[in-house]
Amino acid sequence: MTATPTLDQKPAGPPPAGFGLDGKRRRLADRAFKLAAMASGLSVLAILVLIAVSTSQKAGPALRDEGLGYITGSRWAPNVDVFGALAFISGTMIVSAIALALAVPVSFGIALFLSEFAPRRLRQITIYVIDMLAAVPSVVFGLWGLIVLAPWIVKVYDWIADTVEPIPVLNVLFGQPVTGRSFFTAGIILALMITPIVTSLTREVFDTVPTGQKEAAWALGATRWEMVRGAIFPHSRSGMIGAVMLGLGRAMGETIAAALVIGSSARLTLHLFGSGDAMAAVIANQFGESGGLHRSALVAMGVVLFAMTIVVNMVARAIAGKTVSAAPVRGRR
Amino acid sequence: MLRSNSGMVKVAALAVALALGAAACGSGDNTGTGTGSGTKLTGTLKGSGATFPKGFYEVAIEAFGTVQPGLTIEYPGGGSGTGRQNLQDGVVDFAGSDGLVKDEDKPKYKGEFLYFPTVAAPITVSYNLGVKDIVLDADTIAKIFQRQITRWDDPAIKTHNPGAKLPSTDIVVAHRSDGSGTTENFTKYLVAAAPNTWTLKAGSTVEWPADTQAGNGNAGVASIVKDTPGAIGYVDLSDAKATGLTFATIVNKSGKPVKATLDAASAALANATVNADLSYNPLNADGDTAYPITAPTWILAYKNQADPAKGAALKAFLTYVLTDAQDLAAVVDYAKLPDGLRQKALAQVDAIVVPAA
Amino acid sequence: MTAPAPVRAPLDLTATNVQRARRVRNGLATAFVYGSVLVAAIPLGFLLLYVIKKGAGVVDLDFLTKDIPIVSRLPGPGMGPAIAGTLLITLAATLMAVPLGILAAVYVTEYGQGSKLAGAIRFLSDVMAGVPSIVMGLFIYTIWVLSFGQSAFAGALALGALMLPIVIRSTESMLRLVPNALREGSAALGASKSRMIMTVVLPAALPGITSGSLLAVARAAGETAPLLFTIGAARHVNLDIFAGSNAALSTQIFANAQQPFLGAQDRAWGAALTLIVLVLVLTVVARVISRRFTLR
Repeated sequence: MTATPTLDQKPAGPPPAGFGLDGKRRRLADRAFKLAAMASGLSVLAILVLIAVSTSQKAGPALRDEGLGYITGSRWAPNVDVFGALAFISGTMIVSAIALALAVPVSFGIALFLSEFAPRRLRQITIYVIDMLAAVPSVVFGLWGLIVLAPWIVKVYDWIADTVEPIPVLNVLFGQPVTGRSFFTAGIILALMITPIVTSLTREVFDTVPTGQKEAAWALGATRWEMVRGAIFPHSRSGMIGAVMLGLGRAMGETIAAALVIGSSARLTLHLFGSGDAMAAVIANQFGESGGLHRSALVAMGVVLFAMTIVVNMVARAIAGKTVSAAPVRGRR
Repeated sequence: MLRSNSGMVKVAALAVALALGAAACGSGDNTGTGTGSGTKLTGTLKGSGATFPKGFYEVAIEAFGTVQPGLTIEYPGGGSGTGRQNLQDGVVDFAGSDGLVKDEDKPKYKGEFLYFPTVAAPITVSYNLGVKDIVLDADTIAKIFQRQITRWDDPAIKTHNPGAKLPSTDIVVAHRSDGSGTTENFTKYLVAAAPNTWTLKAGSTVEWPADTQAGNGNAGVASIVKDTPGAIGYVDLSDAKATGLTFATIVNKSGKPVKATLDAASAALANATVNADLSYNPLNADGDTAYPITAPTWILAYKNQADPAKGAALKAFLTYVLTDAQDLAAVVDYAKLPDGLRQKALAQVDAIVVPAA
Repeated sequence: MTAPAPVRAPLDLTATNVQRARRVRNGLATAFVYGSVLVAAIPLGFLLLYVIKKGAGVVDLDFLTKDIPIVSRLPGPGMGPAIAGTLLITLAATLMAVPLGILAAVYVTEYGQGSKLAGAIRFLSDVMAGVPSIVMGLFIYTIWVLSFGQSAFAGALALGALMLPIVIRSTESMLRLVPNALREGSAALGASKSRMIMTVVLPAALPGITSGSLLAVARAAGETAPLLFTIGAARHVNLDIFAGSNAALSTQIFANAQQPFLGAQDRAWGAALTLIVLVLVLTVVARVISRRFTLR
């Protein structure tokens, strides 16, 4: 006769789930793990604080020297210790604007395609194409842009410049003399680079539209495009803006591709087919040789760029909420 | 992109030079410590700086590698400004610089440093136009680079080139985006030779006018000139020839038009006064055959070396550059130092203090 | 008797009767959408074809193993040290960033609900994701290289700092997707919290975490700016991570792209092909893991 277990008898079976330890040691191990996790979290804080302290310390001298003139001055002359970053801030904004103007319609189109228009096989192929675009490192984009795109696209610029010669505003933006290593070429390269991220973020936003809304549109007899306009866009507007802003943030921080094709010319200008410079590219090009106040000015430029990126990301977050994040997860496909 | 025949020939000549250099350097123990067989050196010497002499240093380092295979020497370039700053920061063991350190910057270094002249070469005014052998003088060059002359068929250029068919192409000016000893020497020449025309002063960075293009390193400027019709830029002879560029004949101080050749550079070097610290200025030199934009270059190194192994390696490398490697200079289009200057430099190598191992 | 009120024909919803204007608009929209895919795919196609064409002509066993030549003008192999450097630096960065990031994400999701610290960490990791890569390079140069010299480790620090916020955010999302039922079941069996995380939650989220981390690694392998001033310019393979300069494919491409000499440019194309292949392999592995192993 098998003895029925009574309450004061330990049942046979696996030990309690606690590392095989019991009581105090188990609680200690648990505690240790929690502390390790907390310490890791704090490390993020620590690194960021370190970055903030170290960069503002280094940037201090130049910013104090120039004051507000650092941002409003357009003369950048390291040999006489005059540092006005306006030309570069403007350059960054111009290149980013071009990149957005080119990338955003295309990205929205691709996202719509993946979300609503594509038959299943084409959808898969398109996803591969976008992944491939995201996989190309920025320096390879720069290499191709410098050696292949720039020499070829000069002819296009030339033709456009000659065509818009008589038109008032356009001939300032697109007039002669044109050069392959210019704002516009850098904008094209950056557009290619930010397309994957804007596309994938926008697509995630489109996918959150409740099917009920879409079906309601169908039920009313809408064409596919009308369904998109009526059900998807209104629901996704804030998410789309957020995606665009995150693309902007990415374009502003892009260093290497821009450095290779932008032309490295420190002037305040709106001539899109002419050379210019952008903040990140200037830092990369001039940091090695800089010392003293010059180096401080370059670190200050990094701080300004960082601040601008933070603002853009915060605005994105505010508009789009949690639906878009700066570090998108592409887990589900 | 067509590769000019002269470019291919240069490449072949370079390869031959390397082979010869390797063969010749196994034997032959010139003056200096440790160049030949004997002490086997190991480790890594790090350098950075001027792209002007980079063509020569690379060949010298390669040849030196056959003498001291255990020693690795890194010289990625970066521009004279980067070299000097890296030496200040202590990130490299020696710096290449075509320009001298300003007095107010000297305290920033980690100790006393010495200038070692290594080679010299013409700075060419290279251009991309179908016309060969354009003649320019200092005033015209100054006006071109200041964007006062904007087309190739400008009367100022025509006066020096009466027979040439100059098209009305726009001139695209190319200069350096990084802090450059080549820029410094080029602008120093313009200050000396065109004092009433050149207003941008001299320095490793210059506030160039708008509508100009910038490249990274001598190679970057060469790249722009090569790819842009109508472009003009200042490039060292070695990079200009290796890229297959055409360059101008310059009217020198004596009023004679002189092509950019090594002989003309040597003529400029011969007349230069050498200071006690071995700095000298061959720019805008006197003499009928002197090329007016002949530029010097130095290796900067600390007098008191901290690391015995690195110190020994540095001395051996410098000695090699000032002895056996001088014969390689001409093959890659650099002018070797005049013998008097070279001997002084070698004597200065002995002044480097290396702690006992 | 008045005339009967006119009766409207019943609305015909068959597609053929949709007004032409609406149909045209729909057609244009469809064309636009298909067209935008082409607009992205065509330059990409040109780029890849060019890299493959130029790179394949250069990449061979010699190219992958020989040292970087000292004379940069001449053609010839190789990029061995750059490949070794990229792998070494990326591996080191991964070993630092991934465990740290996963633990930090664990803290935020499992221990930190509602706590101000967790909220701050999440916010700050978002901020950190926005640090421009060049600024990270400057930062490491200032606090590490000036004191300890250039090395693979310095580069790894810069890359790791760039990877960290991405790892944290993607891990956090994956952990959130783990159903609470699993956590509750584990607690009901008497598991301590750390035990529950280690044996239930993490394994459930593991495919997503792995794929997210691999994507971060792929991105880091292609980074150039953080390495520009931190690793130097070695020509031989250097497996010593803490001492001596090193090389990387990205920095080599950057340097060689600006040279007019075809020999140098060819090496750049070969390095570009190698780098793309490397990044692609990592991306594909990440996708495969994510698709195959994720619990749905």
